[in-house]
Amino acid sequence: MLRPRLRYIMLSAIALVLLASGCSKVDYKKIDSPAYLRVFNNLNYTISLANKDEPVPFLTMLIDPQTDKDGIPVSAAIKGDFLDQRDPYAPPYPSHAGTSTSYKNPEYPGKENVLVGPVLNGFDLSSWAQIPSGRHRVLFLFRPVNNTPFFDLEPRLKHNILIDTTLTLDTKEVYTLHILQKDFATKKNGIYLRKENFHKLPLSDSMVYVNFYNMSAKGFQQADNSLKTGYKKSGALQNGIKDNMNIFYTLFKNEPSAIAPLPGYTQKFLGTITRNSEVLEVTQYYSFPLFADGASDGIHTTIWQHLDFLQPGMDPANNPYYPFESNTDGNWAPVECLLNGKTAIKGHDNSALLPNMIVNIPSGIYNPRSFATVNTIEIVNGNIYLTTVQRKYAPPIY
Amino acid sequence: MKNRKPIRNSLLIIPALLMLLFGACKHDDLEIAKPNENFRLAADFIKNNYDLTLFSAAVEKSGMAETLRGKGPFTLLAPSNTAFNEIGISKASDFDKMNPDSLKALVRCHILNQQLLFSQVPVNGVDIRYRTLAETQVYATLASYAPNNSAYPANNLYFNGSSVTRKDVTIANGIIHVLNKVMKVTPNSTVRDWLAKRPQYSIFVSGLKKFGFWERLSGAGPFTVFAPQNSVFEAQNITEASIAALDPATHSGERLFGSYILHNKHFFISDYNVFYIINNESAYNGQLDNDSWYFIISTERNFFTAAVTYSAHLQTALDYPYDTYPAAGSTTPALTDNLTDNGLVHDMQGLLLLPEQALKH
Repeated sequence: MLRPRLRYIMLSAIALVLLASGCSKVDYKKIDSPAYLRVFNNLNYTISLANKDEPVPFLTMLIDPQTDKDGIPVSAAIKGDFLDQRDPYAPPYPSHAGTSTSYKNPEYPGKENVLVGPVLNGFDLSSWAQIPSGRHRVLFLFRPVNNTPFFDLEPRLKHNILIDTTLTLDTKEVYTLHILQKDFATKKNGIYLRKENFHKLPLSDSMVYVNFYNMSAKGFQQADNSLKTGYKKSGALQNGIKDNMNIFYTLFKNEPSAIAPLPGYTQKFLGTITRNSEVLEVTQYYSFPLFADGASDGIHTTIWQHLDFLQPGMDPANNPYYPFESNTDGNWAPVECLLNGKTAIKGHDNSALLPNMIVNIPSGIYNPRSFATVNTIEIVNGNIYLTTVQRKYAPPIY
Repeated sequence: MKNRKPIRNSLLIIPALLMLLFGACKHDDLEIAKPNENFRLAADFIKNNYDLTLFSAAVEKSGMAETLRGKGPFTLLAPSNTAFNEIGISKASDFDKMNPDSLKALVRCHILNQQLLFSQVPVNGVDIRYRTLAETQVYATLASYAPNNSAYPANNLYFNGSSVTRKDVTIANGIIHVLNKVMKVTPNSTVRDWLAKRPQYSIFVSGLKKFGFWERLSGAGPFTVFAPQNSVFEAQNITEASIAALDPATHSGERLFGSYILHNKHFFISDYNVFYIINNESAYNGQLDNDSWYFIISTERNFFTAAVTYSAHLQTALDYPYDTYPAAGSTTPALTDNLTDNGLVHDMQGLLLLPEQALKH
């Protein structure tokens, strides 16, 4: 009788030890009164023969860094490493966080494992990092293109500073920070901090909103075309657009075809865009209805957007350029917002490509269902970028 | 019960049988694979390599052999015998004519104080600098593949513009990469010093002086200078006297002599080939300083020898309509890529422009 009882006692002791060793105290991170920050590296130049000695635009962001006696950063409160040139599309949620195998980060926070923003006034801020509000010293440094973390690099590689500045971030405000080339001739770089306001505006669920920025460097469009060769895939946009442009839009009925423009939404004037890389103000949001197509069922729509940037005085109806011309002297740049931004329309050879502004995704009992979004289109030198923010939607029911 | 005893008896036999079994094994000396004796120390390896005998002789003469038998690790950027032949060294005794200090500097410039495998050079890396034993820097450039075409790599590696023809030769204390061209580094000197020391460029230098470019060449730069030798000028009946007779008021100095200088650029000849691969740039167009004309240069890499040769010409404009002038270049890679502290000098076997073509209208 003693033997089984002994065995029982021994086993329960082992079980207890296992149980106890499985425990650990979990420290939940919490940032009191945070600001929400998203960072983009807009230095989109390519290294070519003409600018062989320019540093490769691959960056590290350090917020509140500690430096040693030689001025070399040794630690930082917040580090955003491997900050690569931004992707053409900044999706409404950090989609590359789980799926990407590359160490390069197309934005901050992007793939970084940090506290992100909540759903604020219905907008999903999971692509914004929480940063303690207040005054911060922000340091951007060029770093070599490899997967060694910044603080493990050799000291000689740690003092190539792009910009060293201080920023003040207010509590519960949403910011996007851009690293930009400010002057094309002198190659001067700088930053541009924008305090977003979309979460404070009374925006409708049934309208798609978009605003536009031209954050190109001063003198880019005016420079000789032989000096800006790195943007071939942007079509007519590759040599930049003039400082003041009108925007026209056309909605097409079926992806990916340009046969059927929607009546009433063809070559319509949308607004204007002015080059500005200095003054930090949010531009006006323009809108069009999500279900502009009267024949759609009110759940899913296949419309897509075509934009024309045209010099004031010109109109899509009297556009003197052909769609195969990529050299339009900065007077005309067409853009297609179609599917996932990789599909070109035959006959629209000089269009830049972006993803559709409307998010089509399974939700509730519908597969797919179309959702209106709030978008920002940014033109930086010869490239164009789309940032989409969306509201929270119901998860799919299968 | 009865037959248990015989079994127990036979059990006693088992250890005896086992002992017999093991005793039957033959105990020859065990053969353990020895470390490969072919991975020798750097100095011995190059001595035994028929294509590196001249580099080995240079190492011996400069007294670096003992260093290269040390622990290392080293990376030897070893020019092949053909590379030495091209700069006029065909046998070991030719090194005796050289200044021992400059020979030592030459050898040390070809040795890195670290192990650098091909795979450690960054993909499509341009001008990655590594430290040599001579306390100078060597520029490594790797043309890996064209944009978005990593499935078809070129993997052309250059050190100071010299092609690597055989890479990653493992030795006991490091790595050897074989070069097809001797790296020519002149530390603590400028492009101007380099040209001033060489009498074969005196006509070119007199032209630079005449049109006011000479003083600028000692500045910070960097400069890339294409220099024709005197024989090239003499073939066109141009002498120092005829250059002295030219009038800067009637002849455009920017075109006649300024066109040989690229300001604020340091280009190895191989760079044009590297960017042809990694950035689809088939040629480089640089506008002349203070002039509307363009200097256009392109290169060709020999498939078999990996030697890079160039061809350059002047053009009155980039877009049509324009006039072009006959191309000049170099078919002797050994004379190009002379590196100084403020730029590079490349020998040019031809003239970009004749004086009568540079007349101001």
